[in-house]
Amino acid sequence: MLAELGNFALVLALMMGILLSIYPMWGAYKNHTKMMAMAKPLAIGMFVFTAFAYGCLTHGFISDDFSLTYVANTSNSTLPLYYKITAVWGGHEGSFLLWVLIFSMWTVAVALFSKAIPIKMVARVLSILGMVGIGFYLFMLLTSNPFDRLLPFFPIDGKDLNPLLQDFGMIIHPPMLYMGYVGFSVAFAFALAALISGQLDSTWARWSRPWTIAAWSFLTAGVALGSWWAYYELGWGGWWFWDPVENASFMPWLIGTALIHSLAVTEKRKVFKSWTVLLAISAFSLSLLGTFLVRSGVLVSVHSFASDPSRGLFILGLLVVIIGGSLGLYAYRAPQLKATGRYQLFSREVLLIGNNVFLTAATLVVLLGTLLPLVHKELGMGSISIGAPFFNQMFTYLIMPFVLFMGIGPLTRWKSQSPQALYKQLLLAFALSISAGILVNASFEQSSYMAAFGLVMSFWIIVATIMEIQQRIQPQLVSGKLTILQSLQKLTPSHWGMVFGHLGFAVTLIGIALVSAYNVERNLRMTIGDSVSLQGYEFVFKDVSNYTGPNYTADVGHVDVYQNSKKVAQLSAEKRFYPVQRNVMTEAGIDSGLTRDLFVALGEQLKNGDWSVRIYVKPFINWIWLGAFIMAFGGVLSISDRRYRMTKMAKKPQVDKTPSPVLKEQIS
Amino acid sequence: MKKIAVYLIPLALFLGLIIFLYQGLFSNPREHQSSLLDQPMPEFVLPDLMDIEKTYNQDVFLGEVTLLNVWGVWCITCAIELPYLKQLQGEGKHIVGLYFDQDMDPDFGIKTVARVQQEVTDKLSQLGNPYAFNIFDVKRDLSLDLGVTGAPETYLIDQQGKIRLHHIGDINARVWNKKFAPVYQELTAQ
Amino acid sequence: MSLFKRCLIMIVLGFLSIQVLSTEDKFHFDSAEKNALFLELTKELRCPKCQNQNIADSDAMIAVDLKRKVYELLQQDYDKEQVIAFMKKRYGDFVYYQPPVNPMTIWLWLLPVLFIFIALVGIIISRKRQAPEISQEQLDKAQAILEREQ
Repeated sequence: MLAELGNFALVLALMMGILLSIYPMWGAYKNHTKMMAMAKPLAIGMFVFTAFAYGCLTHGFISDDFSLTYVANTSNSTLPLYYKITAVWGGHEGSFLLWVLIFSMWTVAVALFSKAIPIKMVARVLSILGMVGIGFYLFMLLTSNPFDRLLPFFPIDGKDLNPLLQDFGMIIHPPMLYMGYVGFSVAFAFALAALISGQLDSTWARWSRPWTIAAWSFLTAGVALGSWWAYYELGWGGWWFWDPVENASFMPWLIGTALIHSLAVTEKRKVFKSWTVLLAISAFSLSLLGTFLVRSGVLVSVHSFASDPSRGLFILGLLVVIIGGSLGLYAYRAPQLKATGRYQLFSREVLLIGNNVFLTAATLVVLLGTLLPLVHKELGMGSISIGAPFFNQMFTYLIMPFVLFMGIGPLTRWKSQSPQALYKQLLLAFALSISAGILVNASFEQSSYMAAFGLVMSFWIIVATIMEIQQRIQPQLVSGKLTILQSLQKLTPSHWGMVFGHLGFAVTLIGIALVSAYNVERNLRMTIGDSVSLQGYEFVFKDVSNYTGPNYTADVGHVDVYQNSKKVAQLSAEKRFYPVQRNVMTEAGIDSGLTRDLFVALGEQLKNGDWSVRIYVKPFINWIWLGAFIMAFGGVLSISDRRYRMTKMAKKPQVDKTPSPVLKEQIS
Repeated sequence: MKKIAVYLIPLALFLGLIIFLYQGLFSNPREHQSSLLDQPMPEFVLPDLMDIEKTYNQDVFLGEVTLLNVWGVWCITCAIELPYLKQLQGEGKHIVGLYFDQDMDPDFGIKTVARVQQEVTDKLSQLGNPYAFNIFDVKRDLSLDLGVTGAPETYLIDQQGKIRLHHIGDINARVWNKKFAPVYQELTAQ
Repeated sequence: MSLFKRCLIMIVLGFLSIQVLSTEDKFHFDSAEKNALFLELTKELRCPKCQNQNIADSDAMIAVDLKRKVYELLQQDYDKEQVIAFMKKRYGDFVYYQPPVNPMTIWLWLLPVLFIFIALVGIIISRKRQAPEISQEQLDKAQAILEREQ
């Protein structure tokens, strides 16, 4: 019964979406305040009904209602309760319901926290979100309804949740990732609203900045969690596989990173407007493209959902309408966008846009690498694979100029920077980073050029970032008014956001450089009692015991690790068997540390009683994810900046302050 | 006007991409062309499954259109395919088995030759034996040379011993009529 | 029974009785270079049957066979290119994660480079075409509106 109510709630949410897409937009066109004011209650309604539907589905899982097709396919009565709750997004239909729920959350957040923004703008933004929402809700109700019943004959028990997803990382990874993907819809809506209204000054850039940074922070955390999960759950010791589905999440991240920088330039300097609008459209478009790739089955991936051409066709139609429509509008309106600020060739503007170029080129590399095999085959040229060797090579080339610009950018002034003034500073930074990089690299036994190179780049960013802070606080220090601590406190949160964002990137880069160069692995046959030494660690294969979990049985290999005859870690590497899906899963034993991970994965038992065991020592691998979380933290700091706290600034309801004839004049 | 053209580039690129994505929806991403088409059978010397003292080489395929079927008793899809192969054999097709073994591999299991032979005999007497004879690919070397990715797979080999078709997955009436029958008829008509 | 057949039987039976010694690398090389090359190759060759995994990561039978073949070939002093050619001959371009260069795939490299080139030229040109600075008065007005909106 609850399922039917849930289904009905989804239909109501769709209705709300339809009304939301019409009324406020019409009101904005007719200058009708009451119609525009409808936006907020409609957005709230859409959210409430979606949340109710989501609650109904969750109830279906908790109460083991296997008459629901989706529950029967993704859950099982023996599944622990917390996994039943997370199994809601363990398959295609439910994960799309989560997607829609998050979408309605962003919509309602925009409706609630935009009091400082002119009502016309908000009305248009929410209307556009409503239009996007119609597509999402229709897709769910027509092709992927999680409330479909298996009546009259339904199974006694469910097919169980894919064991790969029965894991802590999977509990938080999809919501984070979706928060990012869907969050870009807000930036998209702001950009389109600006295009529609013809209000093409850069005010929209200021309004959409906190939303975009928020979405980007979630996406950063989501991608990092996905990578971390793949590392410890897939049992192969890798952290990035250039799989189409990973690429699908990486592309919006790259473009989103370009977007948050481009928005800053557009807001502060009123230049690169059409570029910023294009990026805002692209970020969300790439999120949608990723959805298509994951859910349509056009590409072979480890992570994709069961494929279904009819779903693929529907999403493709959605892509044509949403992306095609917005790019059409862009082509029509963007020529009217004119820059009003001026800048010299050596200025912060140019360095920032330069990095935008490299980020976009990187996106292009990923996009081509992901989709070209498809095109290649469709043109009858045969199957090809594009994977790690290609991407690693391209990214190594792209990152050099990128990091160079990234270091210089914050040190330069807006408008114009005299090269002489920076010359000495840059030289010093360069010398410092090279010596630090080489010095650290020399501490490894067999030093690798690539690692040295990566370290130098990381130190370049770190040194330049510290110099930038020093440059900022210098005047106060010289005048003697403030102490160092006081002057550091005076820096704005959004400035600290930039600092953390850049430092986080450097930390990730250190991790990537060191683990790529100094990762050590052995693929062994071991008898119980055997030991092997690797990188100064002695791995002793103590025994293998049996363990019975709530819905699986496991062989648990116990490995003790000694360093200088001192025990440093006790690892248990499991090989689990999930009887319902007849699936074998590797649960690696990992001892995590700041400077290294010890990683043991238990393979199959060989016929003579030996075990196949993989052992890895992975230096600095955690820095990869640590850096990503520092970046995301930087994003959070930025949003907390006072100038974005728009709700507090608006005391009275703002009616019709939108038309800005002066600004319009400027652009014409 | 010239300016609008520049701003139309993203839309144009996007629409081009959509065409390929649309085509991609209707093709199987796992299916790909074998690189051995129109190549002669690789050289090999392998024993007969039932009589390991008897050996075959690539010349065994000369003079007759042959279906070379890669299979094993451990393979579930192969068992589903066997009755249809039996039917094809009844219609006069020459079918040779390439026994793709995993039971005698220390990484997957150790069985004696006699044990494997017994299992094969049991399976074939139960489901019907479509094979003129079975080549025993002990170390899966021939399979690797043929680009086999698993079982079942089937090759169509012409009178000159050249590979004309490579099918991954089981053969059923639909696959036969769509993929094999035209080529087979063309070859036997010669 | 011919000598040849006898050898063959020996091989078959010998294969059955391989006794595995404990704690040894699954694929043991005498030189560190070959070992490194083996790790590199098995990470760059794609398992033809799997869902997008390299043969190092996969435990599928075909991946095990390919690993074993790579091992054999390296023991026979094949170099990297020869091993890849061997695999491509049997499994096509699909088996190697680095795409071949042809008129289609060349765009993988060309397009990003062209994009960077055009964009950088575009930045320089657009800077030269900058509109004259807007009067301070206009800017003040725009700023005033922005502030009012807050």
